[in-house]
Amino acid sequence: MTGDLAARQAALVATLTSGAPVPPGFDPRLVGVARDALLRKRAGDVARAWPMLAAAQGDRWRTVFLAWAAHRPTNGSLRDGWDLARSLAPLTGTAAAELAAREAAWRYDGRSAPVPRGRLSGWARRRRFDPLWESGRLWTRLRSKG
Amino acid sequence: MTDYGVGIGWRPEIAGFVAELPGLRFVEVVAESVHDHGPVPQGLADLRAKGVAVVPHGVKLSLGGAEPVDPARVTHLASVAERLEAPLVSEHIAFVRAGGVEAGHLLPLPRSREAVDALVANVARTQAELPVPIALEPIAAIFDWPDDELTEAQFLTEILDRTEALLLLDIANVYANARNRGTEPLALLDALPLERIAYCHVAGGAEAGGIYHDTHTHAVPEPVLDLVAALCERRRPPALLLERDGSYPAADTLRAELDAIAAASGYPVVT
Repeated sequence: MTGDLAARQAALVATLTSGAPVPPGFDPRLVGVARDALLRKRAGDVARAWPMLAAAQGDRWRTVFLAWAAHRPTNGSLRDGWDLARSLAPLTGTAAAELAAREAAWRYDGRSAPVPRGRLSGWARRRRFDPLWESGRLWTRLRSKG
Repeated sequence: MTDYGVGIGWRPEIAGFVAELPGLRFVEVVAESVHDHGPVPQGLADLRAKGVAVVPHGVKLSLGGAEPVDPARVTHLASVAERLEAPLVSEHIAFVRAGGVEAGHLLPLPRSREAVDALVANVARTQAELPVPIALEPIAAIFDWPDDELTEAQFLTEILDRTEALLLLDIANVYANARNRGTEPLALLDALPLERIAYCHVAGGAEAGGIYHDTHTHAVPEPVLDLVAALCERRRPPALLLERDGSYPAADTLRAELDAIAAASGYPVVT
């Protein structure tokens, strides 16, 4: 087989992230193992970015996340957890508070990176604020005030 | 690279543990976790003040992607290297995205001339901006491409020759790949240009479903330490670094792992 590495890499990524068929010649079992490992890693990453969301699911976290993520390529842990949290609404308890704090602090349209709301935004632009980087710290601060 | 001996991957979760290692001379930090503006994480700044070398380790450049490497990501890596006064940086022989979709992890390349060409071009684009040398790390691959033209040693040697990059050899990856492919890890060590090694990774893993996974969340298994010893008998690398990325054990357990790497390599203990 020759040429078009770009297309072949894209096909493999689609298999691993969107449930597309395994490209010809690859070992389907091993590609499946890699796909599962990748989803488990994502589940851990999102649980770190959204600790209350994951905790609220308890032992079912991995199952819930895998079912949601199996055909959705990652947009990063912050957005993945955000999309999942919205899809699970109405949430209760600390998971609801976690989502509410972020909805209050950021404008997120579900399609592109969240942007800080209101007064924060000018400050954020000056600081070249990075939501993924700062959201954990911000969440802790909002919680301790609440 | 200077003989730094035994180091550890710096992570915020174990920053307190790392800060108190008396003999430590080098750490690695995930490059994408460090801002290229604003303050450097305090734990890293404190280590720098003590003279500990900090190596930025990139995980998202996608050097093996068929598409050109993202210039903003290269600029970020270069500026982090400058801010940390790093002696070198490192990245992977892998791709992590294609066609605008993120894979979320390091994926293997076909061992083909086309893939070598793509990677060499991306490494050259990166080197053009970097203030320091780059070391390239072969990954642990759960699967292989169906149409490999080169052996692993030929593939890596060709990449190193054409890029003039250093080698970051992950001993746990050598172990994982050999175990999963049913090949002989020592044969790979014997076929690699060991004099090009900048440093080595050492990490733990676990078997699941008949496949050994390089998890970085389990203990370093004995056979990996045996491979460290076998490598050091052939040619001792300037430094060896323990990677731990989660399920952090008690401090005593981490210290014992660092001591075991020191024992296997003959470097002084850092604990």
